[in-house]
Amino acid sequence: MIKNKGLIASYIVLGIFSFLSVFPLYYMFCGATNPSIDIIRGKLIPGTYLLENLKTLLDNQNLLLALWNSVKNSVIVTVLTLLVCSLAGYGFEIFHDKYKDRLMSVLLIAMMLPFVATIVPLFKMFSKMHLINSTAALILPTISTPFMIMLFRQSARSFPHDIIEASRLEGLGEIRIFFTMFIPVMRSTYGAAATVTFMNAWNSYLWPKIIFQSNESITMPMLVANLKGGYFVDYGMLMLGVLICTLPTAIIFLALQKSFANGITGAVK
Amino acid sequence: MKKILAVALIALMALTAVFANGAKESAPAEKTNTLTVWAWDPNFNIPALIEAEKIYQETHPDFKLNIVENPSKDIEVKFVTADQAGDYSTLPDIFLMQDNSYQKFIANYPGIFTTLDDSGINFADFAAGKSAMSTANGKHYGVPFDNGAVIMPIRTDIIAKAGLTVADFDGVTWSQFFENATKVKKATGIDMLTTSGGSEIVLMILQSAGASPYVNGKVNIENNAVLEEAIKIYARLIKEGLMTDYTDWDQYIASFNTGKAAGLIQGNWIISSITAAADQSGKWAVVPLPKLEGVAGATNFSNSGGASWAVSSACKNKELAFDFLKTTLGSNTALYDTLLVNNGVITTYLPAAKSSKYQDPVEFFGGQKVYSDIVSYANGVPTCDFGSYYNDIRSAITDAITNVVQKGADVKAEMKKAQEAVEFAIGG
Repeated sequence: MIKNKGLIASYIVLGIFSFLSVFPLYYMFCGATNPSIDIIRGKLIPGTYLLENLKTLLDNQNLLLALWNSVKNSVIVTVLTLLVCSLAGYGFEIFHDKYKDRLMSVLLIAMMLPFVATIVPLFKMFSKMHLINSTAALILPTISTPFMIMLFRQSARSFPHDIIEASRLEGLGEIRIFFTMFIPVMRSTYGAAATVTFMNAWNSYLWPKIIFQSNESITMPMLVANLKGGYFVDYGMLMLGVLICTLPTAIIFLALQKSFANGITGAVK
Repeated sequence: MKKILAVALIALMALTAVFANGAKESAPAEKTNTLTVWAWDPNFNIPALIEAEKIYQETHPDFKLNIVENPSKDIEVKFVTADQAGDYSTLPDIFLMQDNSYQKFIANYPGIFTTLDDSGINFADFAAGKSAMSTANGKHYGVPFDNGAVIMPIRTDIIAKAGLTVADFDGVTWSQFFENATKVKKATGIDMLTTSGGSEIVLMILQSAGASPYVNGKVNIENNAVLEEAIKIYARLIKEGLMTDYTDWDQYIASFNTGKAAGLIQGNWIISSITAAADQSGKWAVVPLPKLEGVAGATNFSNSGGASWAVSSACKNKELAFDFLKTTLGSNTALYDTLLVNNGVITTYLPAAKSSKYQDPVEFFGGQKVYSDIVSYANGVPTCDFGSYYNDIRSAITDAITNVVQKGADVKAEMKKAQEAVEFAIGG
């Protein structure tokens, strides 16, 4: 009986918390399917206004271009970040000496520097390199982050050195060991890193906003900001914009959920 | 081996994509007959640009505008970044800036502007209070665009339940307002006013008497009698349950769309949010805000929000930019007629306000000639100097009224604190 009571209590608590975390998503969905005035008035059941909202959104903003830009930028950033940071993390761990350890501490200090503090110098740098308004300027500052290097370094620690020794005896070069041995074994770390990087890249706003000057470079977060930039906000259109902006990251997260959990805890298969 | 190749190929493709793009985008074809403009509202100021472009193309067929949509805060961030990095090459030719930001940007980032005194635009044709906001040291930095005159829209059906009519709120003083608002509250249980972000309404009252919080290069908050009165009015509105202050803007919009309040005091740009509730058509009327009593220079008129067009220092063809602004937004009354009808843009260009379109009755407001009324309010707005510290002053006053209302703090003491806070923020 007491056990049952405890169970009921925990269900109630869990129920409340899952409601709190799911409700915003539900509300977003309801909003996307209702006209603005109904959302304002607090309607909480899905409506039939989805197509009209989509039409206003398409009339107001270049949705397809924003989606394409966001996908393109995020995929490029994710692939390059994984490549660069995993190589660095691998190098720091497998070939480590005391100088590299010191360098690592410097990197970790860099992690504490907020990005906003580096915006002006970065902007200056890219404007000298004539890269303002280019995808390169968007990508270069983000492909090597101390956090990702640390993540890969930590997980490389659990990578069995025997495999490296054995591969060396088999005559494999160091680069081939990394690509054919390390990457497949560390799949789950890559999954976790990919999830985090993709989400960050997808949601990044300030830097792209500063570096891009034309309508052609619009990304999804910029589009959502534009929806709320006017004097009058169409909440139906706004919610639909937010929904479309959220979906890709939600899908990536759900698809890589398992390896995300494994990768963060550092499991090796 | 295949995997290595695959990864290497992907990396290579990604890199080429990056740099190919870089090369392409960083060298845009520069045409002197194209002007780049930054603005932020696809239903308000962007249509104005599109219309202006059409008009200018009639006489200059190869003219083109490249309109880039950026929220107003982002425009400011981009300007600050460009200025600090000392690279103006990324700036547009023309941009829209909130009137409240002009003085701050002129004082701190003068390098981003081109003065408009040689543009041939007749600034005397614009409402004086409005063009003063983008003028510094006698130099003009902005072409005034939309009208920010404050209005007090009220629900005629709700006040009727208390036996009152629009005349009971039209051009009244604050004590008359309190008397009538209390009647409405008693008869219906509905708040007379709704607001969001408190201090805005205090600043509107302050401006309605032209009591600048910044006088002769000094902060004038502590001994500003009008400000004290304005804070007391705000506190009384809240205390007597005549007004609810919503922290969240969306809830604020909802409060008048759902009939939780019988009125509001706001810049006239709020009209588009009021008319969104189509079922309330015919139930609204517009009057000016109440006036302070016993204060020299007190009026029923104030200003909130609004924006003006500026030419950047990086403008590649200043003559073209000047001529474009002068012939369209700076003088074309037909353009302002179109914008009024299609987008509800109420002008501050005085000759345009004389047009017949402004005399049209508006059904949503029970047939009232709302537009010409608002233009007449705008003409009566006293100038109010915030120095270049509008935001600092606003946040200090927000703190003050929060303490007064929530903790019952002394108004005088809070004003002293606000004075110190602003002085600290501006470094003396």
